[in-house]
Amino acid sequence: MTTDNSFPQEPHDGEHLKPLLPILDQPSTRRTLLKTAGAALGLAAFGEALSPLMVIPENVSVDEFLQQHYKELTDEDKKKVFARLEAETKERFGADVTITDSKPIPGVRFAYAINVSKCNGNGKCMEACNKENNHHRGVDQSYIRVLEMTKGSMDMENGSTTYDHTVPQDDKFYLPVQCQQCDNPPCVSACPIEATWKEDDGIVVVDYNWCIGCRYCEAACPYHARRFNWELPEIPPEEVNPNQGYLSNRIRPQGAMEKCHFCLHRTREGRAPACQEACPTGARVFGDLNDPDSAINYVLKNKRVFVLKEELGTKPSFFYFFD
Amino acid sequence: MTANARKKRNVAALKHAVRSYPGFLWWGLGQATNGGLGFYVWMIVLTAIALVGANAWAHQVARGMIVTNMTDHVSWGLYIANFTFGVGLAAGGVMMVIPAYLYDDEDMHKVVIIGEAVAIAAIVMCTLSVLVDLGRPDRFWHLMPVIGRVNWPVSMLTWDVIVLNGYLVINLHIVGYLLYMRYLGRKPNPKWYVPFVFLSIIWAISIHTVTAFLYCGLGGRPFWNTALLAPRFLASAFVSGPAFIILVMRILRITTGFAAPPKPARTLIQIIRVAMTINLVMLASELFTLFYTGGAHGESAKYLFFGSHGHYGLVPWIWTAIACNLIGTGLFFMPDALERSNTRIAACILCIVGIWIEKGMGLIIPGFIPSTLHEIVEYTPSLTEWKVTAGIWAFGFLLLTVLLKLITTVFAAEAHKTEIA
Amino acid sequence: MDGSRHWISLVMMLAILAGVTATIQLRGASDAADGGSTLEALRGESSANEEKSSAVRSNSFVPPETFPVTIRKPAGPPRVATNLKDVHGEAVTVACSTCHSTRSPNLQNKTPQSLDEFHSGMKFSHGTVSCLSCHNAADYDSLQLADGHRVEFTDVMTLCGQCHGPQMKDFEHGAHGGLNGYWDLSRGPQQKNNCVDCHNPHTPQFPKMQPTFKPKDRFLEQSRSEH
Repeated sequence: MTTDNSFPQEPHDGEHLKPLLPILDQPSTRRTLLKTAGAALGLAAFGEALSPLMVIPENVSVDEFLQQHYKELTDEDKKKVFARLEAETKERFGADVTITDSKPIPGVRFAYAINVSKCNGNGKCMEACNKENNHHRGVDQSYIRVLEMTKGSMDMENGSTTYDHTVPQDDKFYLPVQCQQCDNPPCVSACPIEATWKEDDGIVVVDYNWCIGCRYCEAACPYHARRFNWELPEIPPEEVNPNQGYLSNRIRPQGAMEKCHFCLHRTREGRAPACQEACPTGARVFGDLNDPDSAINYVLKNKRVFVLKEELGTKPSFFYFFD
Repeated sequence: MTANARKKRNVAALKHAVRSYPGFLWWGLGQATNGGLGFYVWMIVLTAIALVGANAWAHQVARGMIVTNMTDHVSWGLYIANFTFGVGLAAGGVMMVIPAYLYDDEDMHKVVIIGEAVAIAAIVMCTLSVLVDLGRPDRFWHLMPVIGRVNWPVSMLTWDVIVLNGYLVINLHIVGYLLYMRYLGRKPNPKWYVPFVFLSIIWAISIHTVTAFLYCGLGGRPFWNTALLAPRFLASAFVSGPAFIILVMRILRITTGFAAPPKPARTLIQIIRVAMTINLVMLASELFTLFYTGGAHGESAKYLFFGSHGHYGLVPWIWTAIACNLIGTGLFFMPDALERSNTRIAACILCIVGIWIEKGMGLIIPGFIPSTLHEIVEYTPSLTEWKVTAGIWAFGFLLLTVLLKLITTVFAAEAHKTEIA
Repeated sequence: MDGSRHWISLVMMLAILAGVTATIQLRGASDAADGGSTLEALRGESSANEEKSSAVRSNSFVPPETFPVTIRKPAGPPRVATNLKDVHGEAVTVACSTCHSTRSPNLQNKTPQSLDEFHSGMKFSHGTVSCLSCHNAADYDSLQLADGHRVEFTDVMTLCGQCHGPQMKDFEHGAHGGLNGYWDLSRGPQQKNNCVDCHNPHTPQFPKMQPTFKPKDRFLEQSRSEH
């Protein structure tokens, strides 16, 4: 600015751009005027640059913006929220759906076990998950990934999820991985806003309408169990599963995190999870840990059971066993 | 216009009967936006870049994070990398505060406010980096205490939000109060700022420690899960921060003639020499543990330095960083670096670039590669991410420029006033 | 002055320490509330949760109605296809006994290789059992147990269970063969597969499959990021 040798000059009315630069030596009021004009121009430019943000008021109603955390909603609030979500689903996805709020069954604690000797990696569980849970069809999303592992090693370094050949291969075994519903869940500790928590029946859920999408939980999860909605899911209307739960399989909003919830809209009604029903090998065992006669307790008492990454202290409710 | 005339105007400005703090801020904004052609070109270029970034971010919000190149495997990218570096920059400012206030270094006292200004701009950049990384920025209020639902004290991210905002408030208070007092021509009352200065020292260390805990607390990410991470963050912050401040002081000298005494920069160089050596030693011991032990825990480091399973995405980045850091450190140890020399400038730039990579792309990204299921998914930032990041830096520089302008104006006017008196 | 500075920094350190302690305690408390390790809880050691749940159950006023577990059954003895069609154009099938009642069994036949007339070329891979280990020479429309007792085709699981005890035990406990319907029988019925639904009795090994569904993670597709 030591090189500034400009002379005062008269600004033309309504034409503030040209005399904007050498404003230093303008009389004080005129300088202020010019700076105000510049600031106004800058603000207008920022407004224009940010104009794509206008989709937010278009897509996010005032009610949605102000919606409270799931745990703070009264039954009356929930009724309104679910009705709004049903209407939005009709409008955006063209499907008539019912959104319910299944509560944990008192005294029940869910667990899952997979027979590694039986699983042959056919992937029907992933497909069933995709359909049941209204996953994004564009990327064929699923809460499950099946790892093809090399016999003789438990090192996932030797695993692959992208195999595409007849299964099972003789030198391989198969390890389906989904949310382990940990008793000490790193994702829940990570979440800065309690948008994800562990319910009384052991299921870790996400309030998709509270999540801000920071993805810290995704970094914290040691099992690659969490998925982010990088865009709004696409699902043809005829493929939308109309039986939806608020904390489970309703169509997720863009920019929120999601994860396996043991099909709580089914399992809390006593039904088997979709992946278990779909498994053609009978490798999947699901049930209530608190019931001593349950199938899951039979497995835990009689089989050689292990959990993934036990050394991390996450205490999974998801087990693997050999015959 | 002559320097004399400018001084006169500054004094005139000081004589204005503005006594309230908002009035002072308004006056300051006016002063800080006055300048020559170079100043306006600089501001307009920065504004333009910030506009491009703002526009790219708005598109990202509208279309979803799909416009970034992040995936469920590499779920954090350039934004969080920049955030980490920014926190270091902010924390590094404290390396002027400690000599000035703990060791009563008179010369450092004169320029310590520059470090605080850098901290303010850096914290604002950090906040913006986190904001643009959110999938649902419209729900930001969920993060606010009382009206939202914060997971405190368990979530390290909640801690980070609290300490970063706290640090911003503390520094805004200190800088604002000291400048206001100078503007009023009164002696600052130590009661009103010294406690906050000491708070800011602890706080600066805490912001970077908490940011490191954010990563190293995750058991599922062995590359981050190391007790050395927080000390490494601090050591590198005490290089990048002072190096950045040295560059700022040089630019101020060239553009405004604001002449800092030579001693503070020398003190900073001494600090950098020590901090960088510690940083490199810690990096070396980290790498020794990873590579000598081997096994799955070293896989990320292997990918980072040598590539893995046919993927080499980060190899050029990290070797660039290593080269920059080593050469930069070498230059800092040359006697020339203690003088106002080009060696010093080159060393600062090299170390800043080296640490930006080492802490950003070289630390955040390999934490995700291989993924927790040991899949290798590579990541290179998308154009949108570069635009948004450039926008954030431009905004940070805009803010810093305005702050420095305000500081130099107040200082210059005050100096002149005492001269007249 | 110096004294006050030190005092202030001391207070700050204490505050941070208190925060950290609070974090650790809170995490510990949430662990305790979760009832400790699931594995331990399961393996018969009493846990708070378990006691609570049994209390809830015993207190429930009406004992829950239990829905049935249905095991799918084969329709009956197999029918053998002929190349003939009846007057309505329907394929004609015949019972095993149609031929076997007129011919006496050849006890030397133990594998499909030695069959030259009808069952030739049949794949068989089921250990060392021979045809008449399971098929009933006295009535080919039924099967027989190892002790010679007749068993109907619809009750084939009794036959399988003679040798495959561990599988049978797993099946009975819900750990083999999969299921459909309800895990909670107080809320709805359950359907289970029969051995021969999944295992061909002649070649019981579970068949190879071709995966048909694969999530398309972003790294698998073409770059779609720029606009």
